[in-house]
Amino acid sequence: MASRAAISRVLRPASSSVRALSSASATSKLTGRNALLTTPMARVTRSESKYLVGAEQRRAASSDEGVTQITVREALNSAMEEEMLRDESVFIMGEEVARYNGAYKITKGLLDKFGEDRVIDTPITESGFAGMAVGAALAGLRPVCEFMTWNFAMQAIDQIVNSGGKTYYMSGGNVPCPVTFRGPNGAAAGVGAQHSQDYCAWYGSIPGLKVISPWSAADCRGLLKAAIRDPNPVCFLENELLYGVSFPVTKEELSEDFLLPIGKAKVEKEGSDITVVAHSKMVTHSLEAAEILEKEEGIKVEVINLRSIRPLDIDTIIKSVKKTNHLVTVEGGFPAFGVGSEILAQICESPAFDFLDAPPERVTGADVPTPYSESIEHMAFPDTDLIAKVLKRHLYRQ
Amino acid sequence: MSSLIRLRSKRHINPQGISIISRSLITGPPPNVPTTHHTTPTSTPLPLPIPLPFFSPSTDLNANGENKPLYVPGSQADRLARVGRMSSPLRRGTHESWWSSQMGWFNAVAKTIPTYRVLDEEGHLVKGSHVPEITQEEALAIYRTMTLIPIVDNVLYQSQRQGRISFYMQCAGEEAAIVGSSAAMLENDEMFGQYRESAALLHRGFTLDSLMSQCFGNVEDKGTKGRMMPVHYSAPELGFHTITSPLATQMPQAAGAAYALKVDEARQGDCVICYFGDGAASEGDFHAALGMNSVLGGPCIWFCRNNGFAISTPIIDQYAGDGIASRGPAYGLDTIRVDGNDALAVLSAVREARKRAVEGKKGVLVEAMTYRVGHHSTSDDSSMYRKVEEVKEWTVVDNPIHRFRAFLASKSWWNESQEKELLASHKTSVMKAFARAEKLPKPKLGEMFNDIWGVAKGDEVPAVIMEQRAELGRLLKKYGDVWEPWRKERKRFVEEGMDVMDCDGRGS
Repeated sequence: MASRAAISRVLRPASSSVRALSSASATSKLTGRNALLTTPMARVTRSESKYLVGAEQRRAASSDEGVTQITVREALNSAMEEEMLRDESVFIMGEEVARYNGAYKITKGLLDKFGEDRVIDTPITESGFAGMAVGAALAGLRPVCEFMTWNFAMQAIDQIVNSGGKTYYMSGGNVPCPVTFRGPNGAAAGVGAQHSQDYCAWYGSIPGLKVISPWSAADCRGLLKAAIRDPNPVCFLENELLYGVSFPVTKEELSEDFLLPIGKAKVEKEGSDITVVAHSKMVTHSLEAAEILEKEEGIKVEVINLRSIRPLDIDTIIKSVKKTNHLVTVEGGFPAFGVGSEILAQICESPAFDFLDAPPERVTGADVPTPYSESIEHMAFPDTDLIAKVLKRHLYRQ
Repeated sequence: MSSLIRLRSKRHINPQGISIISRSLITGPPPNVPTTHHTTPTSTPLPLPIPLPFFSPSTDLNANGENKPLYVPGSQADRLARVGRMSSPLRRGTHESWWSSQMGWFNAVAKTIPTYRVLDEEGHLVKGSHVPEITQEEALAIYRTMTLIPIVDNVLYQSQRQGRISFYMQCAGEEAAIVGSSAAMLENDEMFGQYRESAALLHRGFTLDSLMSQCFGNVEDKGTKGRMMPVHYSAPELGFHTITSPLATQMPQAAGAAYALKVDEARQGDCVICYFGDGAASEGDFHAALGMNSVLGGPCIWFCRNNGFAISTPIIDQYAGDGIASRGPAYGLDTIRVDGNDALAVLSAVREARKRAVEGKKGVLVEAMTYRVGHHSTSDDSSMYRKVEEVKEWTVVDNPIHRFRAFLASKSWWNESQEKELLASHKTSVMKAFARAEKLPKPKLGEMFNDIWGVAKGDEVPAVIMEQRAELGRLLKKYGDVWEPWRKERKRFVEEGMDVMDCDGRGS
């Protein structure tokens, strides 16, 4: 797990915007793998993020003792490669995963290493290859099924939910279905209503599925490896905008045996005044907001990175709320029947309710199909400033 | 088989003066079929089949001016190289094609797809037919299952009507297709059923006790532990995958299992058979599965039971092409249409299909033409959409059991007294298994909370599951003895719910 020192390194102010990254890419091997440059839906992010670490910072960090920087893309790629080396029954299938190295280059180089039988380009039929993955899992293999984005997995949702998620139970516990479905999830940038949706709540509502929404490179490595080894069907919901982002990782996190437990959240930043629960890219914004509040108002925010949507680690949240007496959830999905709604409901049903000093609150995406136009798309999702504003208001500092 | 099909070609000149060879595959009209056969009203007639016109490939592109490309930029050498590249068949996305100045429209790949059969409606060998290798023992085993399933169906159908089980599906009329295909498979093969294949499962060795236990969801239901509707069997020990209710989802899964067999060194020589109906072939999953299997490979027999109906929808409202078999060539699959009421033909065709699938590590499509004599399920009354007389006619004229029995009799493998004895023993064993299964208690109450997530060694069961379990246990502790409805209900379960009462109170 990332050490506290490592976190603060990520938090170091960086002037690098995406533009700076792209100009630096000519001189740095690492930046050549930037998601925003290699993805087919490449768009320039609007706000500068401290988490988009530039080439200079990376090199400096790499020279540090025992801590290196890797991108989320490298983390996912190495996790799959190691699991394929470890277990011959692991294979990858999906659209464009082999010769094209994946639409987002997550499976880069795997075809060359493992051959066509284990890295498979399939015809473009989500229900077909998702169903095949389920069938291969029922027959004893451990498929990793890549969806180009989770938006396209809607065509295969019957296979994921009704077959993958339920067969173990329906077969009397005799036939496990160890399949990992993975791909980018949630809003990207400038890709409109049909490509910008968060499916955490959809899959999170199904008993029998495990759902992971990782944030950092370490999350991705530890959790993807755990997902592939898990005897259950796992939906691994990545974020496109994080693919090219670098995170510091320790030696331990780079080791082949590094696993993170599915169903356990992580307190990314400890604090005493308010609990913020976030997942995926919203962890970035929450940490930035926490930093602003700490600097400007002296408010100590506790930021919890959910990591797993299902099973949900409500115990960690309860413990935190009992300490801070305030709860705000942050997510990039729609508000209705969402992850935040579920957490709030569970907290209100739990003993932590009596510790709350204010009604718990959700910060979510707007309740509209994601608009394309940049100016209004920007307003459809929470960002650092909005989270900081909500937290201040929540604590009556405004 | 080839002697069965007489291939007739005749060359004639059409009005444009172009020579066309029309080919037709003729089996001759089936004997003894009354003209009123299959009278379900149809709304749209099938289009007249226009098979692929005959083209002669032009061997030299530049031999005459007609086939010369109009304009290709570049030098002569470039031009020829490009013409060569562009003309290569795969460049155009086809396996084999040629240039033609004629517009060649077609809506069928063959004028007639023959239906392969060994026995006629009365069970006599068709002229020129080849009887598959079959021992007396094998033949009688097939016949035993074919005669057992109607009795099982009848008992369970009636028990649903009496409210003793919630649901049932019969396979009346399709015994030959289901048992014949199952008999062609080997022990280590994998089977994906749709839902009407209990006979295939029985033929693989599933016991009557297991079958009845599943339908009643009692404590001996090892396959589904009382969690699944009746007829949704699961028998991994027999290679029979769990039946899923949503239509055709088993098909991409079968493609996946076939792929797993293809890449597994230890499973070379094994094969998958996937059953589906004519209605399921309209689902996207059908096309997804055949597409995946044809491209990625893996030994799989796609066995279509074309029984004429998808619940109430007759085939004529289901598709306008030539059945399901016509779709096989579209995916490049070896395909055969077989008389589904002829157990010998099905056995023979599926054996050959299995051979082709295993040797080529690929998919093979078998369309078995049959007729669903029973209702779709217990939720259906088929007299609302088809004449009772029509159904009766099928049981008399083209009864798969009678046809196979006639074959057995012709071999002197079967006689009247054996028949009586067999039916009597079937009835006894079915009633015995039925009575036993109905009396057995329900599974442990705690089974409701097991197997939702597989728990790896050293991991703990998710809290959300343990909390629910503990809550039920707490309520049972409190009210299980004092509230009459619960006291009564508890008695139906093995251990009377005591197994969930070990809670630590966490769920309270």
